[in-house]
Amino acid sequence: MSAVLRVLGYIGPKLAQFVFVVLATYTVVFLLITFLPGDPLLAALASKSGGDTIVDPEALEKLRQQYGLAGTPWDQYWHRLGMLFAGDLGVSIATGRPVGDMIARTLPNSVEIAGIALVIAIVIAAVFAFLAFLAPFRWLRNLLLQIPPFGVAIPAFLTGLLLISFFSFTLGWLPSSGSRQPGSAILPAVTLALPVAAILFQVFSAAIFEAQASQHVFTAVAKGVPPRRIFTAHLLRNALLPTITILGLTIGYLAAGTAVVETVFSRDGIGRMTVNAVLARDINVIQGIVLMIAAVYAAVNLIVDLAYGVIDPRTRRSGRAGSSGRAGRNRRPRPQAATQEVPA
Amino acid sequence: MSPRHASARWVAAIGAAAIGVGLLAGCTTTGGGDTGGEAKDELYIAVQDDPVCLDPQQVTLTTALNIGRQLVDSLVDQDPETGEIVPWVAKSYEANDNLTEFTFTLRDDVTFSDDSPLTAETVKANFDALAALGSTAALASQYLAGYQGTEVVDASTVKVGFAEPNAQFLQGASTITLGLLSDATVAMTAEQRCQTPVGSGPFVLDTYTSNDSVVLTARKGYEWGSELRTVKGDAAIKTVTFAVTPEPGVRTGGLQTGEFDMILDLPAADEKRFGTDEFTIYARANPGIPHSLVPNTDRPIVSDPAVRKAMILATDRAEISELTGSSKVPPAGGVLSSATPSFLSQKDALAYDLKGAEKILDDAGWTEGSDGVREKDGKKLSVAVTAFYGQDVLEATQAQLAKAGIELKINMVTAGDFFGAVASKDFDFLGAGLTRTDPDVLRVMFSTASAARWAVVSDPELETQLATQAETADPAARAGILEDAQKRIIDDAFLVPLLEVAQVHASQQGVSGVEFDSSSRIILHDVTVKG
Repeated sequence: MSAVLRVLGYIGPKLAQFVFVVLATYTVVFLLITFLPGDPLLAALASKSGGDTIVDPEALEKLRQQYGLAGTPWDQYWHRLGMLFAGDLGVSIATGRPVGDMIARTLPNSVEIAGIALVIAIVIAAVFAFLAFLAPFRWLRNLLLQIPPFGVAIPAFLTGLLLISFFSFTLGWLPSSGSRQPGSAILPAVTLALPVAAILFQVFSAAIFEAQASQHVFTAVAKGVPPRRIFTAHLLRNALLPTITILGLTIGYLAAGTAVVETVFSRDGIGRMTVNAVLARDINVIQGIVLMIAAVYAAVNLIVDLAYGVIDPRTRRSGRAGSSGRAGRNRRPRPQAATQEVPA
Repeated sequence: MSPRHASARWVAAIGAAAIGVGLLAGCTTTGGGDTGGEAKDELYIAVQDDPVCLDPQQVTLTTALNIGRQLVDSLVDQDPETGEIVPWVAKSYEANDNLTEFTFTLRDDVTFSDDSPLTAETVKANFDALAALGSTAALASQYLAGYQGTEVVDASTVKVGFAEPNAQFLQGASTITLGLLSDATVAMTAEQRCQTPVGSGPFVLDTYTSNDSVVLTARKGYEWGSELRTVKGDAAIKTVTFAVTPEPGVRTGGLQTGEFDMILDLPAADEKRFGTDEFTIYARANPGIPHSLVPNTDRPIVSDPAVRKAMILATDRAEISELTGSSKVPPAGGVLSSATPSFLSQKDALAYDLKGAEKILDDAGWTEGSDGVREKDGKKLSVAVTAFYGQDVLEATQAQLAKAGIELKINMVTAGDFFGAVASKDFDFLGAGLTRTDPDVLRVMFSTASAARWAVVSDPELETQLATQAETADPAARAGILEDAQKRIIDDAFLVPLLEVAQVHASQQGVSGVEFDSSSRIILHDVTVKG
């Protein structure tokens, strides 16, 4: 019985936090959408019908009812919240399709390129960090450390167009657009990966060089442990903690990054759907996507929390100690502190 | 560690990484587009937007209309050159004298791609369903304004009835918007119809992947093309793929390298690049009202006819066209676009005349102010235009009007705010065009009785002309009235035309037989492709 209580005591606050994040997101998005100037229904209709949009007040009122946009903001807030709790995200004004279906259809496409991008980014960051760690000359090491800002500074649409013109139009190796042909996910994933790799590399290399200066690595070098072994056994683990924190944030970046990449590469996905929905002021879709991303974000946060326990046993211990008192608070240590306190 | 060792390891690591990249690239060489050298039965077209919905009767988006046109047949067809109505699936048709009843006699060999026959009942079901859809089918509801019902006279004869005269209906019946769908499709909900419309056209919908592509395959045994088609029977091309490619650089790059046989919506800036023998450019002005400044004459300064007349004279349409339009289409030359039946060229009245504009304003008491903007009774000659597209067109206009001392403020808004302004009449000018195949577009834009009215003008004479043309069956008489209406609109400066909006596409040299219909949508029935 007490075990159940302890699990509840552990999960309860996490769940409450999750619900709070989603509710707060819903409320903020609702306020933004409701109090922005302009009529969302007319905007969505106009994006569908162009010059043939009908502005007959009676017809508009009927459509308002149909899309759950009738009544005072207060009525709408509760009405839509009720729908949300029933698992209903509403119907897109621009396409007439259920928002839940639209997200379910496009999400896998975005997850595909975001997932590949994440893997590529981690590999690039690790390889670069490894090369910088081994670099025989100071100038070479400094040069390698200076490259990443470029990765962040070059806009994704430019990288994308350059990759297309080289790999698709010049070499003819990969398809330029769409997701019809095999290999079509590679160029968008690379485009998406470059800035992420740059961010990861910076965090990764900083942590590695910090750990390299610490006593236990000094001891290992003195004992004649080969550099590759030092890198994998002593440095990598230390570098993982801050990197995982950044990874959590990166998920948010990937969600935003797909908007540009999916437009340039003509891929169907969450990012492109968001752009279209914002342009059309299709508020049901905007709200659905934001809620979905908030939920994913909260879930990733939770996983990152748990991952700390796996990677760093000390946080696991303090986590257990904490659960008997104020469960879940301050369990995650500041990454900087963790790397500095590693015993020699 | 010794530097020598370390650098050797470093080189090895780089080498391994390079091999890895090479392998990755090697694995994926199969994905590229191929450019064969023989006659092909596949056509690959890059389009700008996702069609969203494929039901030809509901959509108004240009891309969706271009795709949908291949799927459905219409009762009649319209010659894009002469404006003449010719038979299609209706082998004959007639209208009563006051244009309230239209009788069609159908061919008896037409079937839909689900093998169901096209009957008089089908036509009735189509129009009844469209009338029930109401504003969900925005364009169709305007063609069917005043629809009372369809009477099935016999198995191959239908009579469509209207409460009021409807001069545009016969022309509307030639458009894709009143194209015919199978009984099963018509019975579906509006949303279902969007995904799987079944028509009797030369092509059949194979797959539609949202935001990605639409694939059509040619129909076997298609024998009922309109007499405007050169190919009789089945389409020459077996498969057509519309690849949704919003980025213009990717469309033009793909055309250049042969990945696409054809691209729709060629950017004006790329016309030179594809103007060589290797490529073909297709261009046709949209029928309807050109991109214009549409006035609200209830507003203080706009209400002054002298100001509006001066604006017409102070805008240089040739320059606007050169700066912002397609080189393939002439500058705006009237109230209607040159592709519209009954178009009246008003080049002389619309000729650029800065001196004339200045004189009109001087005479009306608008004198030059200290900052170059004219004034009268302490009020500045400053008006605003509300628009949601075509900012470049308006900026060119702004610069030209400034030379005459007229300040034009540009108010770019979202599409929703634009139609919000239309609904509340809260604007000086609207900056937009209106695409319609029939000159009745004038009534839609200017008549106080029109549901989709934009211009706020009050002129009983014009109102009468617009109402009369809509109920005049005699083409010559109707053309006469329309001519008077066009003259009147320019005389009273109820519209400042700026630019003819055009459809501009490009293809590889080997593609031939692409045609425009009277609404400037493409027809692929006659297309052949050589690699």
